[in-house]
Amino acid sequence: MYVVIAILLFSFYGFYLGKKKSANLVSNKVSELHSTPIYHGYYIFLWCFVPSLIVLISWQVLDNYLIKSLVLNLVPGFETLDKGNINFVFEKIKTMATQETIDPFFYDEQLIPASKKYNWLTKISNITLFTVILSFLAIVLVYVKNKIQAEFTARVYVEKFIKTILFMCSVVAIFTTLGIVLSLLLESLRFFQSVSIFDFLFGTHWSPQIAIREDQVGSSGAFGSVPVLAGTLLITLIAMTVSVPVGLFSAIYLSDYAPRKVRTIMKPLLEILAGIPTVVYGFFAALTIGPFLRKFGESMGLDIVSESALAAGLVMGIMIIPFISSLSDDVINAVPQELKDGSYALGATKSETMVRVILPAALPGIIGSILLAVSRAIGETMIVVMAAGMSARLTANPFEAVTTVTVQIVTLLVGDQEFDNPKTLAAFALGLQLFLLTLFLNLFALKIVQKYREKYE
Amino acid sequence: MTDTGIVNISSFNKLKKSKNIKIKAIIKNLSVFYSDKCAVDNVSMNINAREVTAMIGPSGCGKSTFIRCLNRMNDVIENCTVKGSILIDGYDIYHPKIDEVKLRSQIGMVFQKPNPFPKSIYDNVAYGPRLHGIATKKNDLDNIVEESLTKAGLFKEVKDRLNDTAIGLSGGQQQRLCIARTISISPSIILMDEPCSALDPIATAVIEELIENLKKSYTILIVTHNMQQAARVSEKTAFFHLGKLIEFGDTKTIFTNPREKQTLGYITGRYG
Amino acid sequence: MSSTINQDIASSISSARINKEKRFQIYGVAALLFAMIMLVTLFITIFSKGLSAFIQTKVNLDIELTQEVIDPEGSRDLNVLKQANYQKLIDDSLKLYALNLFDKDEKELIKNLRMILSPIAYLELRNLVIDNQDFIGKTKKVSFIASDDIDQYFKGKIDMSIPEDDRKITDIQEKFLDDLQSKGQINKVFNKTLFTKSDSREAELSGVLGAVIGSFYSLLIAGLLSIPIGIGAAIYLQEFAKKNRITDFIEININNLAAVPSIVFGLLGLAIFLNMFLMPRSAPLVGGMVLALMTLPKIIIPARAAILAVPESIKQGALALGASHMQSIMHHVLPLAMPAILTGIIIGLAQALGETAPLLMIGMIAFIPDTPLYITDPATALPVQIFMWADNPERAFVERTSAAIIILLFFLIAMNSIAIYLRQKFERKW
Repeated sequence: MYVVIAILLFSFYGFYLGKKKSANLVSNKVSELHSTPIYHGYYIFLWCFVPSLIVLISWQVLDNYLIKSLVLNLVPGFETLDKGNINFVFEKIKTMATQETIDPFFYDEQLIPASKKYNWLTKISNITLFTVILSFLAIVLVYVKNKIQAEFTARVYVEKFIKTILFMCSVVAIFTTLGIVLSLLLESLRFFQSVSIFDFLFGTHWSPQIAIREDQVGSSGAFGSVPVLAGTLLITLIAMTVSVPVGLFSAIYLSDYAPRKVRTIMKPLLEILAGIPTVVYGFFAALTIGPFLRKFGESMGLDIVSESALAAGLVMGIMIIPFISSLSDDVINAVPQELKDGSYALGATKSETMVRVILPAALPGIIGSILLAVSRAIGETMIVVMAAGMSARLTANPFEAVTTVTVQIVTLLVGDQEFDNPKTLAAFALGLQLFLLTLFLNLFALKIVQKYREKYE
Repeated sequence: MTDTGIVNISSFNKLKKSKNIKIKAIIKNLSVFYSDKCAVDNVSMNINAREVTAMIGPSGCGKSTFIRCLNRMNDVIENCTVKGSILIDGYDIYHPKIDEVKLRSQIGMVFQKPNPFPKSIYDNVAYGPRLHGIATKKNDLDNIVEESLTKAGLFKEVKDRLNDTAIGLSGGQQQRLCIARTISISPSIILMDEPCSALDPIATAVIEELIENLKKSYTILIVTHNMQQAARVSEKTAFFHLGKLIEFGDTKTIFTNPREKQTLGYITGRYG
Repeated sequence: MSSTINQDIASSISSARINKEKRFQIYGVAALLFAMIMLVTLFITIFSKGLSAFIQTKVNLDIELTQEVIDPEGSRDLNVLKQANYQKLIDDSLKLYALNLFDKDEKELIKNLRMILSPIAYLELRNLVIDNQDFIGKTKKVSFIASDDIDQYFKGKIDMSIPEDDRKITDIQEKFLDDLQSKGQINKVFNKTLFTKSDSREAELSGVLGAVIGSFYSLLIAGLLSIPIGIGAAIYLQEFAKKNRITDFIEININNLAAVPSIVFGLLGLAIFLNMFLMPRSAPLVGGMVLALMTLPKIIIPARAAILAVPESIKQGALALGASHMQSIMHHVLPLAMPAILTGIIIGLAQALGETAPLLMIGMIAFIPDTPLYITDPATALPVQIFMWADNPERAFVERTSAAIIILLFFLIAMNSIAIYLRQKFERKW
């Protein structure tokens, strides 16, 4: 705490110093300076603040590890403890050291030397940290102060620093992707150590639940992902059959036929459809559409289960309508007016122009948007978790219940914390499958859309 | 100053404005390339102090690119390379140690389309002085704003609405505001890139009159595609064609008795 | 002559073509109509089911607060008051009311009648007595929260025509309640519990407060992380990045991340934040971090467009005055792009607010009856609460789920309205 205050004090003093000194150098005729005084201030401030902050944070992390290992060595029977217990014992030691408790839950005679050592080590560490940072700050102030001259390009340095920060911001995207790939890949590799990748990719039987009882014969469960994937594709297909025609025709109607008034009302309404959280759609599917379809099926003599693929697919389709319609709208509007005029001039009707001229011209863009929508449908979770089934069935019948990749990930991971069990690891393998599938779709679609845009821009 | 006319740049901080300098800028073998395309081809010329030098030529001849070299605005454009040298008051402005940002505070520029900041009239003019710390007190700043606006011939028109947005001004007023903004930080050279091309004839006349006044204290380079304008306002004229400097000399000579056939062709309107 | 030309024109557009044209238009109208019908159905479903949850049934009973039961020695000691048998007082009161209605076995009867109040009825009474100690020894009318089934009964949502064994309300309860109602001892009030309590196993005692706070913390973290990083990245990519491989790679990454399924971000959070960095499970801190990563591309993409939309001439004007590239951006470009950037931010965060799947992955799906205080406390979030309640088969929870959805939609609509307002107010044509 004192360290933080010291750093702040020094940094602000540095700021003041830089500003003052540079202004004094030219006796307040600022235009004689290369950089205005405030940049000289920032320069010293950054030199004080950033390195000491880095030292402070890395110190805290290292110091935690170091103290923990040193202290735990004093605990009798330390080698026999497992990971969870180690953390608990360490928490005990910390509480004993810091709060003189006699609460039997925290207090343990055996841990007294360890807690004393903990106290001693933290004290030493704090003092050292304080000295290190303070001397660093002092050196910086003396050294950097001398750099302040009329010709000194403080602004250039400060801006370089900001630019580096901005660059780091944009690199976060790379690290996110890297994090996704690494986490999925590593856990999946662990999964493939117990289940062969061939079985996972081509197996037609999925029943991971068996794996819970590890001591039993056949405990490995069955991890053939084909039925799960098939279920995903079935629901996606249903969703697309609903959303593509509806979305596309809405876009066509709104961009070329609808009166201005209708357009200004309908577009925001469609946007509302896009803004509704998926969990709400899921609730809607499970509560209204599912039972409705079952009853409707009964009256038609069809056997439709409540959690049918149809119900989930239909609602997912509704969710995707605005996605397709707004993307297609952009694409259709990007078709140059000259092309349309050419067609009208030849006496074509609106629909003929649309079908023969605009749509062919916009086709790559529309296909791109549909692919993006497919990727979204495949990755959609809440609707299927709430409205589709759990059991993996290999069927093309939309009236039956099927399961999807996302449903399985959720069922496998929610509430389960054991990480060494193929059941949880299977979720990551499914996640990897999902990620790769959507990645290819996205990259492909983005490429098509980009090419299309370049063509007309 | 050494024999070559190059001054040690470590002392560069502010360009001189002393009255006895005759030659403000020396341009030697200047070439500019966009990627591989040559936009300015081996141009050399001297610019006199406190005179108006006009650059004329058909569009795409490199005259805009040329004057943008003088305040290194081309540095902003990717893939743009500049060869040759430009000395201003003896400083080699393309020397790696010259900070182009500092340089631009010494060389003002007025653009083709008036580009006032979407702020108040006052803030438009006060931006430069604030940025460079020229005026820190409100009083000084007020004085600079008033003085600059007066010099730009705009003060009388806007003195009651200094806090209104500059976007509300007419095109001619906006351009004069941009000129006021430029002179607020007392540059040593003012570059004007077709400053009247977006204005009506009356506003143009006002600006031309303004240029006439400004040249008493500033060195002005003006790019124009309007030959009458060049003839009216400038002492020296440079005729550019396809990136090359075809002819450079006194305006009178260029317009009455040009040396080159191409120049004659252009000023008599045979092409352009 | 002229008449023949007219005929020519008239016949040139054949009726088949006209029909085709009309059909095409009908398809468009039908498509829009379908979308709108679904939207309306969805809203009607949610509101018809959920609005009643904002009303709560209260049962008012005259309770004799006898001194002997509450505080036999008259010490008014807080511990004595706390440990008194308030359930007995309630039972006595119920007995009194039931006396002239039934002639049944008393124990069975009381057990049956107790069910009309929430399981914390005795706590309600206890708190009342502790707060108003002068009530002791008097008979007071006390208002209790009715149990969820009774609440549903008075809202007319329980079908009393089916056999007694199949429904939640027994004949005895029905008779008793109808008697109470005729005496004017049942009333309906605004449901404060819904807003002031967190999750509970009992529908009538559950509220969304904990979930709303969990959502708020998560969104706060997500905003604090994604807004500066997003704007920073947008500035860098739009203004400073040179066209090279790294820049291209970053761009592909961002565009792709915008389309990665949200559940994958949850897996990332689980594997990296929880298992690698050992961060607390179920915490809004981690939830916020995951949402931030998810929101980031959704902020960067519109922010870049907003920066691009600021005319180059303004930047050039600043540069020509001797501003550095950075200064021209910070002084001019960014302030001008800010309204559009903000719109993007709000829309991105609104999406994050409605996001459920990634939060499930990092364990924000747990029964948490406490209201979270810190960002590291276990918590849930509003959409996750909806998911959990939706899983609950009890009727009263269906009502609560819909009510929670209404509350969530309210927040979303509020956020989006701000975005639309900003967009319209500061819309600039250059």
